[in-house]
Amino acid sequence: MPLRFPLRFATTALVATTFSGVALVARPARAIEPELSSDSAAQLYDVRSPTGQTVLDRTRFTTTLGLNLYDILGEHSVQRNGPELDFRARVRYDADYGVNGGETNPGAYSSFVPGLSDNTGLVDVMYAYLEGRRYLHGILGFKLGRQYMVDSLGWWSFDGAEVKASLPFFVAVEGYTGLEVRGGMPLSTARFEAGGIWRGNRNGFDPSLYPQFQPADVAPAFGAAIETTGATWIHSRLTYRRVYDTGSSNLAEFANANVPATNFSETRVSSDKIGYAVEADFKKWGGVKAGLSYDLYDVKFSQIYAAFDVFATKRLTLSVDYDYFAPTYDADSIWNVFQSEPINDVSVRGSYVKDRASVSAGVHARIYTVDTSETNPTTASPNLTLANNSIAGLYPTNGHPFDEGADLAAKYKWGNGNVSLRGAVDVGDAGDRVGADLSAQHVFETRYVVQGRLGVWNWDDKLRPDRYATNVGYMLGAGYRFAPRCQTMLEFQQDNNRLVGTRLRGLLTLNLAFGR
Amino acid sequence: MIPHPRNLGVFPLIAALLAAIVVAFLDPTATSAAPAVPAAASNLPRVTGVSAMPDDAPVPAALLPPGADSPDDGPSPAIFPPQKMTLRFNHRWHTTMGVQCTTCHQNVPNSESVKFSLIPVPTTCDGCHGTDHSNPNAVLAGTATRGQCAFCHLGYAPGDGNHVAPLEMPRPNLNFTHKKHLAQGFKCTQCHGEVGQLELATRDQLPRMAGCFNCHQAPDSAGPHAAKSTCTICHLRETGEGPIHQTAETREASGGRMRTVFATGELKPPQWLHDSQHTPDWIQRHRQVAAADSQFCANCHTEDYCTNCHDGRVRPRSIHPSDYISMHPIEARMATQKCTSCHQEQSFCLTCHMRLGITMSGPTAARESTRFHPPKATWSDAPVTPAHHGFEAERNLNACVACHTERDCVTCHGGAGIGAGFNPHRAGFMATCSTQFRRNPRPCMVCHQPGESNLAECR
Repeated sequence: MPLRFPLRFATTALVATTFSGVALVARPARAIEPELSSDSAAQLYDVRSPTGQTVLDRTRFTTTLGLNLYDILGEHSVQRNGPELDFRARVRYDADYGVNGGETNPGAYSSFVPGLSDNTGLVDVMYAYLEGRRYLHGILGFKLGRQYMVDSLGWWSFDGAEVKASLPFFVAVEGYTGLEVRGGMPLSTARFEAGGIWRGNRNGFDPSLYPQFQPADVAPAFGAAIETTGATWIHSRLTYRRVYDTGSSNLAEFANANVPATNFSETRVSSDKIGYAVEADFKKWGGVKAGLSYDLYDVKFSQIYAAFDVFATKRLTLSVDYDYFAPTYDADSIWNVFQSEPINDVSVRGSYVKDRASVSAGVHARIYTVDTSETNPTTASPNLTLANNSIAGLYPTNGHPFDEGADLAAKYKWGNGNVSLRGAVDVGDAGDRVGADLSAQHVFETRYVVQGRLGVWNWDDKLRPDRYATNVGYMLGAGYRFAPRCQTMLEFQQDNNRLVGTRLRGLLTLNLAFGR
Repeated sequence: MIPHPRNLGVFPLIAALLAAIVVAFLDPTATSAAPAVPAAASNLPRVTGVSAMPDDAPVPAALLPPGADSPDDGPSPAIFPPQKMTLRFNHRWHTTMGVQCTTCHQNVPNSESVKFSLIPVPTTCDGCHGTDHSNPNAVLAGTATRGQCAFCHLGYAPGDGNHVAPLEMPRPNLNFTHKKHLAQGFKCTQCHGEVGQLELATRDQLPRMAGCFNCHQAPDSAGPHAAKSTCTICHLRETGEGPIHQTAETREASGGRMRTVFATGELKPPQWLHDSQHTPDWIQRHRQVAAADSQFCANCHTEDYCTNCHDGRVRPRSIHPSDYISMHPIEARMATQKCTSCHQEQSFCLTCHMRLGITMSGPTAARESTRFHPPKATWSDAPVTPAHHGFEAERNLNACVACHTERDCVTCHGGAGIGAGFNPHRAGFMATCSTQFRRNPRPCMVCHQPGESNLAECR
């Protein structure tokens, strides 16, 4: 049975309720700390297709408006480590004035790009939540509203409620439920939904127009977590989350005027994952970090990682990292059932910090798996047999091909500025790249900001041998801080390479923040 | 065509570079930090109480506060701003004489915040030194040597009258109550080290956070007398006004979190705390800490700081250098899992690729006339060679998903009557397909007809 909600009313009601709740709760407060902030950016640049046939004019303007209310219960409560209530919200407007009208008009079949209107000219609520901490003698905490969640399952965003109970014996339990934030829904973006399914607002679409572009609908979700709390030398979190797809989904990929769309409308699992992460410090010698994510729908690990850090000296840290990654997607996606092999990464790193200077360097190998065996028990395609006449060197013949690389980063800071270097080398079957950026920033008289960047990068695309280039680019920027936490910056960037000739980019930013 | 970097001997170069860096930055104090040899012995009596140890020798680690590093850099200047000590005082001599800490530091037992001055009031000294500090505008010296102004006040010269160099001991940037700690039975040495064995107590005897954590390990929900580990138990909390001091990082700080920016420095996590020292490679490894405890990050950073990259609309140059638009296909094919930590492929990647015409499903007006992939004969036709797209998909399926919609694949991989019937499933797929089919049959039904035998096996 599909879940149906009046989406616009539901979302509007949620936001209105949250704001109203804040207003009501805030009234008796004695020492609310308000904060208004805004970050704006105007960008001018262009994007070219690999062949240069199409050039997109990107004339973008993005602005955010944030409202935060801290210490709604009063400063006295916070100082005594009593209950604490805060409200945080940020709304974003993001428009690309370089988009031509046909690209967002479903009637213009030859130029219409489904989903683009969801990503441009968009107003979305990034987050808006009321957060309570340390209620019931420090036991209870909660978040109500649109909020982010970050753990071993990655970044995620939902509208709903989260309740966390911190128990006296070093364990906290957490439960949450709500609606996943999805693209194509009011005041939302697709950023934090699972990948693999092309989805958005299909209102006004002819059913035969881009039948593979699926309609967005509400996605109920719930989750729970258990984590350690209090102890500073160890932290671990076991987390579980399930999200449902609702509404109809088109099954007929080739629906047209003659072939009707076929809909599938059952409520079904979108993602069902369990994750665990642990981090432990052993002050004198180092630490261990490890985690995993298991996809219960796909019945496989999607991620495993481990890092071992050794404090060789007080200033030198040496580390070995291991990463396992296997792609998984929204359960609506057909790519979950495609054959894909995991990617394994092994890296060795070192970091050295001395006063104002710090440097980090590492080498890594990325190991792929390719199964070139001819036989697949389920293959219904006898014409697919592996030929012996492989193209030597272009692709691996079998087994575990690997890419390798290294990176180097260094920074030197002084009172009002810093200079940094960041370079990398990556060599692999799909392509190579090598290069470095040198950048610097200095603030004169606490308000005049100057910055610059100089970079040289070379890359070679093995899939498209003609797509090699060496880019020499620089960026110059100047800004003015006219008040604490308020500044404007103008940046100009020029890149030169044989693929695009000269590419220019202009960026104007304005950052404002005010408190009481 | 550029030569393959593998042929350029890149790795020996990198190894040499790394070795040079390590050698260049190896701690020179390891060989040069030995205490200075005092100058030639003098016949004059040694002046005591002007440094922690005789002849300004380093304080032995055993006498430093618990949690001090080795070698020790002293407490954080952001928390304990630098001091200007204009007094001579020998703690060791006083404790040898049986003087207790609270004999001089009388305010300590009742001190409930850092606003309390814990330096002994001058009249405390009068009883033994024979001085009279009762009127600070007309202090009277004693008759004995120890009662002379210059005996304690450094730099005092005859003729200076009632003027002595002021003592500068800025208030710590902390929440702290001595009263509560003493009520719990704490001894001074548990936080300040063996001050009684030193001559002058310097800033180095102020507590270290690592030492605080010897006790502060309790959760918020622990009882009122428990030593909780929440940052803002001790650290100051930022107000809505935000940091009052402007630094390069000021704009990134915000209200409601722990205050990290001070006139005398900024707070950054130390090496031993979750190995979260913000080294230049922190951008690559921060996820390991955030995955285990995102609240740890949120103690200092607001969502805005994180979403500048994770949900950003302005390309961060520190992550995407150079002409990244032209270079990104290589990194996308090499490390797509990193791309997806900030980008959703089917919205962010696909819509742009459609506008540029580099996808099969894009609008006809934008569609490229040239081919993006290798020639069809090797990329998608039979016979299958190792250069076939299927193997590229195997090794990094995400790279396909960034450009293609499912219809592109169904065209050939769809079941009989829908596509060409080329099976994309892995060997052994039938063993797990029932779980997937039961929980979400939608992807199965894209390619398979309801009555198909293959589908029946998965039911």
